[in-house]
Formats: sequence, C-alpha cells, structure tokens
Amino acid sequence: MVTVKLKPLFEIAQLLKPYTRVFVIGCQLGSGRCKNGGLREAFKVAGYLELHGFKISGVKSPGGTCILERLSSPERDILKEAESSSDAILSLACGAGTQLIAENVSIPVITGVNTLFIGVERERKYFDEYCVACGDCVISETGGICPVARCPKSLINGPCGGAIAGKCEVDPSIPCIWYKIESRLDSLNSLSLLERKVPPKDYRSWVYPRRLVLEE
Amino acid sequence: MGFKEKVSSGKFLITAEIAPPRGTDWGGIVNSISPLKGKVDAFNITDCQRSMVRMSALSMGKILLDKGYEPILQLTCRDRNRIALQSDLLGAYALGIENLCLMTGDFTTLGDQPEAKPVFDLDSVQLIELATTLNSGKLLNGKELKGSPSFFIGAVFNPFSGPYRLQVLKLKKKIEAGAKFIQTQPVYDEKVAKEVSELVSSFGAVPLIGLLPIKSLKMANFIKRLNPSSVPDSLVSALEKVKDPARYGWEYTLDLARSISEFGRGVHFMLVGKPQELANFIDELNGKGEG
Repeated sequence: MVTVKLKPLFEIAQLLKPYTRVFVIGCQLGSGRCKNGGLREAFKVAGYLELHGFKISGVKSPGGTCILERLSSPERDILKEAESSSDAILSLACGAGTQLIAENVSIPVITGVNTLFIGVERERKYFDEYCVACGDCVISETGGICPVARCPKSLINGPCGGAIAGKCEVDPSIPCIWYKIESRLDSLNSLSLLERKVPPKDYRSWVYPRRLVLEE
Repeated sequence: MGFKEKVSSGKFLITAEIAPPRGTDWGGIVNSISPLKGKVDAFNITDCQRSMVRMSALSMGKILLDKGYEPILQLTCRDRNRIALQSDLLGAYALGIENLCLMTGDFTTLGDQPEAKPVFDLDSVQLIELATTLNSGKLLNGKELKGSPSFFIGAVFNPFSGPYRLQVLKLKKKIEAGAKFIQTQPVYDEKVAKEVSELVSSFGAVPLIGLLPIKSLKMANFIKRLNPSSVPDSLVSALEKVKDPARYGWEYTLDLARSISEFGRGVHFMLVGKPQELANFIDELNGKGEG
C-alpha cells in the first residue's frame, strides 16, 4: 500500500487560510489503512477546521481516491459535489489521488498529508518501506527481499562494509537487509545466487512519469 | 619504479592516506608529508571522506604528482552517476593518475551536508568493472575510446563487517572485476591481519592491511563503535593503564606493522599522523634505520 502521514493540523489550517468552505476527501485504501487519511482522520481534521472558523461543506472517503471512476461517475460524483459547494478541497489521499482530484476540478486542492512510501503493515501499527517501484524487479534472486528498496545505497552485489553489529550504518534502528537476504537464501540452500556479478541497473525503467496501458 | 611495478615486484608495500583540504590551500598538506617522500609507495587521496566536502581528490592527485608523489585516487559511487564516473576517470588518467581505489562510499546523511541527494548509480563491483572496461579501450556502452587508460585498480575490504560470507563473496567479485590490490579497514590484531592477507591473496589480489594508530582511549572507543570487533579488549585495557596512550597506540601500530612485514604484502596507514616518525619507521622496516 501507499502510506501517508498527516501534516500537523495547524499547518493544514494555515494552508487553507484563504478559503472558507472546505470539502474534505480522504481515501480508504492506503491513507485509511495507515490511519493518517481515511474517513476517521478526515472527520477529525474537519472538526479541527470547524473549531478554527472554517465551514465544512462535506467529508467523503472513497475506497480508492486514485481511481477516477470512484471519484466521479454518473451514479456518484464526489468531485461535482465538492466543486459546487466549496471554495477548496482538502485531500488526505496520497499524492496520486490528490492530483487526480486536482486535475478534475476547477477549485483549489490542498493536500493534508505527505506521501511516504510503498510498504507493508504489521500489528496494525508498524509500516515499513518494501518497494521503490524501480520497474526492474530483482527480488527473485535475493530471497524475495529487496535490497534496492531496503538498503539506502540500493546495493545489489552484496552489502557495503558499513554495517555496525548487523545494523545499517545509515539508520542503526534497522538491521542491514543483507543479513536477512543471507539467512533467507541460506535456508533455501540458494546462497550461490549471490555469486553472480550483477551488472549496472538500467535506470530507464525508473524514469518518471511512467505509464501502463492495458491492451483491449 | 611506480606503485604498480612495486606491487608486482613482491616488495613489502607501504601506502598512506591523506585528505584534500576543506578549501583551496593545499600547500600545508603537501609540506606535511615531505618526510615521507620516496618512503611511502603511494598516497591514497580520499574522496570527500565521511561525506564531508573537501577539495576534489582528482585535483589533489594531480598536485601530488607534480610534487613528486605517487597518488592512488579514491573514487566513490556516492556523488557521481556512471557518466560522471567515466568522465572523471578518463580525466584523471589524462592528468597522469594511474592508481585507483574504488569503493561504494559513505552514505550522504552521515556527512555534514545530509540534505544532499545520494547517487549510488553503480556499486563498488560495477565501478571496478567500469574501470576495467575503460582499460580495455571502451566505454561502458561499448563505444571505442580515442586513447585508453591503463589503470591499476584497487578496492577496499572491511574484515569486521557482516554478514561475513557475503563480505567475502563481494570481495571475490571485486577482485574478479579487476581489483589488483585490496586495502582494509584498520586492523589491530595480528591474527586478523594474517587471515585477511591469506584471504585476499587466495583470490589473487595483494592485501594492504589498514593501520590507524590509536591516539587516545576516546579514539579507541570511537573505532570500536564503528567496528566493534576490530579493537581487542586487551588494547583498550592497556590504553586505560598507560601514561601516554598516544605513544602506546603508535608503538602498538608499528609493532603490528613489523609482524605484518613478516608474513604479509603490505600495510596502509590511514593517518599520516607523525610523518617524521613514520618515515623513520619505514627506514627501519627497510633495514636502513637504527632499529
């Protein structure tokens, strides 16, 4: 999922200062899942804004703000509703969803979150980055564990010499991912996969903006 | 005889490390190493070590050459993509720099400009392979060079980092990619020095064991924080007892260098420290001093 972090509420209020009527849109996918921009947070922010003199014209949180048809369809059109009733939209969806809103309405759209990463969730509170969407997946050869996303230097030929007692030198609160890769491949009897010299990555697969078009 | 020839001659090698200045005044650094002229076989020039901005290592390398020293240009993957690396390497060779020590490099956030964008387009293995490709007269994309370099390529190894099996695998990849000599992180134990020398030699490269004289208990603890298993407890407790830890640390390092000269191929002083004393020591190792 895409994880987001809600901006400080006073900062959001500051960003919305030029406007009076505000429509709040959250997202039940990533933002909701990581409890920083779902329906619950959208109502919380709306409450704060009301206390600070704003008029809340609506609060909605579709299951997928990054899907145009969920925002705007003949049966249900959140965007039209927001546009006709408000001076501005506050979006708690990820950067993708927020842009999709912005390019389909004529009123200003303000984001209330910072989009963080593509990650996984554990125990309903730990979220970790697992993928950087490099477009050229290597994890079949690294025990299903991505060194591109989970090593700050994105090393693919083995660890650097900087790990201190098994911890990453860049962030000692996380283990060097190459220890995990080693133990996983060891248990699969596949350590020899790491003997191959991996050639330089082709970064063309990482040049944005990228597109995917499905065949009819 | 240049560094490359010395390495193949089997001579016991001594390299040392200097950092370019933070600024443009390089004179003091060159003056400070003058006692080591003709004694240290080559000087590594660090590339914005610990991610702190210094004058370009390439420029410093050219200055050393002009002053009659042989440089080993260190180049990291931290700040340059493959286009800049190839360009800088060709430029270095055109200026007469033949020796390289290639590595991944410290991460940007550990330095004094942590806001910088990290590059890491290549890793150390790929960078070594790139230098080997230039040596063969080609760019990474296969295009022919007009005038090709003949670099003597080195790399680094940290015997204290893990996971050990993968460190060894990567060391092997570096040597297969073209590294002819390997300089290590500081070692404080003869047994480790011996094991590493054997390991590097078994892959076909020449080991230069890193030595960094400890000046104080504080410094010992700092190194212990970076590489917990590298500093033996006996060294720490000795430093606690002695009156002059700097003297003790220096003698300890020289003793270790003497032992390495019995079985190893060379040492790499990661700090010039006391140039005149280091010069005297090198004379002693070479059998020219008073002992």
